[in-house]
Amino acid sequence: MTVSGSWVDAVVAAGAVPASHVPEASLGRNDVEEFTGADPVEAGELRVHPLDDARPLALGAVSFLDGIEQWRVVGYGGITPIVRAHAAAAIRRRGPDRRLRTVAEAAEEVAITRLDRLPAGVRRALEAADVRVLDFPAEDAGQPARALAAARLEVQKARAALERRLAEQRLRALAADEWLVVDGVLSDSAALSEHPRALGVVKSHGAQYFEGAELERALTLPDAHRTGVFRPKVRGAGRDIYSWYVRLWPWEGNDLLYGLLRLEARAHPDTLGLAAPIAAWIRAQRAPIATPDRRWDRLLYPIHDVETYLRARAPSDLTSQPASRIPHPGSRLPRAAS
Amino acid sequence: MIERRDAPHPSHLAPPIGRVVATEQKPATPHQFHFWTANQTTIGIGAIVRVEEPGSGNGETGKVVWGVVTDGFAYSDLATPLHDVVGAEGDPAKAAESPTVRQEIRLWTAAVLRQTPEEPLQPVPLGQVHVASDVDVAQALRMDAYLGGAEPTAIPVGLYTSGGLEAPVYVDADFLLGPEAAHLNISGVSGLATKTSAVEFLLTSIFQHFPPHKGRVGAVCFNVKGPDLCFLDRPGTLQDEDRRRYERLGVEPEPFRRVRYYAPFKADGVNLNTLRTHPDLVGDVEPLVWGLREVLDYAEVLLNRDDIDAKADAFIDFLADRVVDKEFEDGFGGVHRVVTFADLERLFRSIFDGLELASRGGDSWRTHHIATMRKVRNRLANISTRCKGLVTDDGPSNDLPWGRFDDRTVYVVDVANVDPLGQDLVFARVVSQLRERLERRDLGVDAVVVFVDELNKYAPADGPETYVKKMLLDISERGRYLGLVLFGAEQFRSQVHRRVVGNAGTVVFGRMDADELATPGYQVLSPATKIKLATLPIGELMVRHPHFTQPIFVRFPRPAVLRGRDGVERYPPAADLPFEDAVARQLVKLDRRVRPNQVKDLIADRREEDVRRALAHTRQTRPQDALAHFKKQLGGRVAAAPAAARESVAPLNQISDEPY
Repeated sequence: MTVSGSWVDAVVAAGAVPASHVPEASLGRNDVEEFTGADPVEAGELRVHPLDDARPLALGAVSFLDGIEQWRVVGYGGITPIVRAHAAAAIRRRGPDRRLRTVAEAAEEVAITRLDRLPAGVRRALEAADVRVLDFPAEDAGQPARALAAARLEVQKARAALERRLAEQRLRALAADEWLVVDGVLSDSAALSEHPRALGVVKSHGAQYFEGAELERALTLPDAHRTGVFRPKVRGAGRDIYSWYVRLWPWEGNDLLYGLLRLEARAHPDTLGLAAPIAAWIRAQRAPIATPDRRWDRLLYPIHDVETYLRARAPSDLTSQPASRIPHPGSRLPRAAS
Repeated sequence: MIERRDAPHPSHLAPPIGRVVATEQKPATPHQFHFWTANQTTIGIGAIVRVEEPGSGNGETGKVVWGVVTDGFAYSDLATPLHDVVGAEGDPAKAAESPTVRQEIRLWTAAVLRQTPEEPLQPVPLGQVHVASDVDVAQALRMDAYLGGAEPTAIPVGLYTSGGLEAPVYVDADFLLGPEAAHLNISGVSGLATKTSAVEFLLTSIFQHFPPHKGRVGAVCFNVKGPDLCFLDRPGTLQDEDRRRYERLGVEPEPFRRVRYYAPFKADGVNLNTLRTHPDLVGDVEPLVWGLREVLDYAEVLLNRDDIDAKADAFIDFLADRVVDKEFEDGFGGVHRVVTFADLERLFRSIFDGLELASRGGDSWRTHHIATMRKVRNRLANISTRCKGLVTDDGPSNDLPWGRFDDRTVYVVDVANVDPLGQDLVFARVVSQLRERLERRDLGVDAVVVFVDELNKYAPADGPETYVKKMLLDISERGRYLGLVLFGAEQFRSQVHRRVVGNAGTVVFGRMDADELATPGYQVLSPATKIKLATLPIGELMVRHPHFTQPIFVRFPRPAVLRGRDGVERYPPAADLPFEDAVARQLVKLDRRVRPNQVKDLIADRREEDVRRALAHTRQTRPQDALAHFKKQLGGRVAAAPAAARESVAPLNQISDEPY
């Protein structure tokens, strides 16, 4: 009788790296999945550099920015969903005492729907309400599944806009030795992508910049190593940026993207000299571990802290509740807090 | 009077130091709530806080709740300890160097002291938490009920101290000294001098703040070990901090103005059995000497459980009613007037001789079996032997000034070196006298504090039902109506009879032993409170009082009296004097004109018991011319008579099995 795991053992024995659970977070964002390409900057091809001798960048204060979004369908106008969404962003600054304190925050509640698909009365009520209404595209207003996906995209845009606004404001107040670390890409903002002390930390790897041996080199980066700096090919409204990968934890035994971060900094020659110190600095941020978040292998604790802060301040009625989904007899709409 | 020390503004205007939180797991209730504070906070276990419910906005103020912190928690967002190990790669040094400090929380649990309005009683609102001010402390502890008004009854007990605030804490005299409640019990480990110091300070406070409308108050303190209470009239050393605390509490830092010391003699009958024998001080010490009458009234104390029977009781009653202090015919031709132990012994001898000489040797006398009489004789003889010095075989007694107790006076009865049986006797007689006199309202004061250390010895939780224990129970349960107030101290409260400690209206705890805190009596205390009790510094106490719904920690100044240990160093006890010198010194004390050499010449070659009898009589009479009186009592020198041949006595019949 064949043992169920025997074929796995066979492929591992043949040279495959053993792996286990692939967490949901490793799937990456689904909005950037296409191949974009990149140009190596440090050398002619993407190389791997150990961080053993790299001295972490000596930073004074560091500000960390992150945002959250929360939403729920609060009603239907016909078959058109009406979504109540909350987007928020905050910057928490870490000073010499190593404690994080909020220095900036912004939040906004929006309604997302397709106004022209709503019954007139509902539309008028919504227009009269003291809330910004975002329309998702008309072509998504049919099937609820597409409508909800479109609504989610609008919420993400609202959150991204808040983050961008807050980051750009903070850049102007940044002290001379202070850095701003952003959860996500810098290239969405001209100010961020050009600032000498702004750093983007990207933990989702849906975008593909390399192929073949370079891709394998990037994704099998050993622990305590970084790749060479590369310049992602500009797409859409993206700005020119320098980027490189760094591995925080050994991935062997987990999955390829385990502990893998992609960093972004301004496209400037000085960045080449900072790539190793920044990578070493990022690696030093592994402690404390950002548990219980499932993405803790890539989630920096200060970013996790900002997220915790924002969730603590979000409207409690928007957080998911493990409530029963038994029908509401006699009611047309579930009551929603204003 | 309540006043602030260093509060810049009222608590309701000061910024909050925390906020009440309630979850399903840790809800706020009418008796308990939880709140968080910043990591750096002045709040600690025992701190009093004030919770304010936001007003409704129409001018009405919300509910106000006062609570005392009973427990504290700190935790971070760390999911499991393993994650910290992983983050630090197994190196504790790295954990300390992590670039970011984890989020932490300081969460506190508080027990509700008071709510306003008090009805309807509801869960604590999720409001802001403020540090309590002086006024808050008074309200939280319901002291406002007895601090003011036409007849305030507040007695300062200590300072509540937390977060830079220092507020006097008062107990209610009506609940400390009766009639509403009474008695105080204090527990704490030995060796820190906390228990004795606390009682000394509290007595000072009582004497200075006992409300005039409640009359006169005194204290009787039994010194049961060492020199603890031997120097209450001598000033001790105080630090500036102590003086400041005295001032804050409104108590004058001074030793007791009126202290009367009583101590029995040693076996020689002339040297006092106390550590207060320094020549400068011994003049204040009155001998405590009891005779047959004083002992016979409390003979039950002397009888153990096996002894107690109706026959012995009946015989003792017979002696007390029919024999002592009366002309009594023994039935064999002899007439006796029994006043002293020696007289009684003569009577017994006469009876036993009479019975033996009687034909066929009867075994009963006046319906009392000879075995019973021998047992009683044995016990009475035993006390006069074991407590020689306290109990005199002959001569008059010298006692506390019954009926003439002075206001604000401490009567120290030093029985530290007395045989335990004698201690029981002293305790039983003194307390019984206090009780009887207070019942008749002829003691001289309206209320008496009786301080008894080592209460676990006199009223143990288990063991036989002794006379002393029964008496302590009686005081505990009924003393408050009389003004007879028991201040008991012991190391282990759990070892004291629960009805004695249970009836103490005010309970004070010093530093406690961890094993003691593990006993069931402390289950109501939180683990944090227990830890605080186990590490309590000298000078800090936890107080429970009927007005306080929760125990409160207070600090008190060290007493302004000389500590026993220091007193012995400053006033070293004098060595025992030879018999002649001791007699001379006592006569000199009574009359400064007396020359010691005159006394020595006078008593040379005289029997010591005759000298002691004459001295006791002189001491009791206190004549103008002590030497002349002494000489008269001593009588003329009589040549020693040759010893008479003892008449042979036939052996007794039928009593060969009696064990006495």
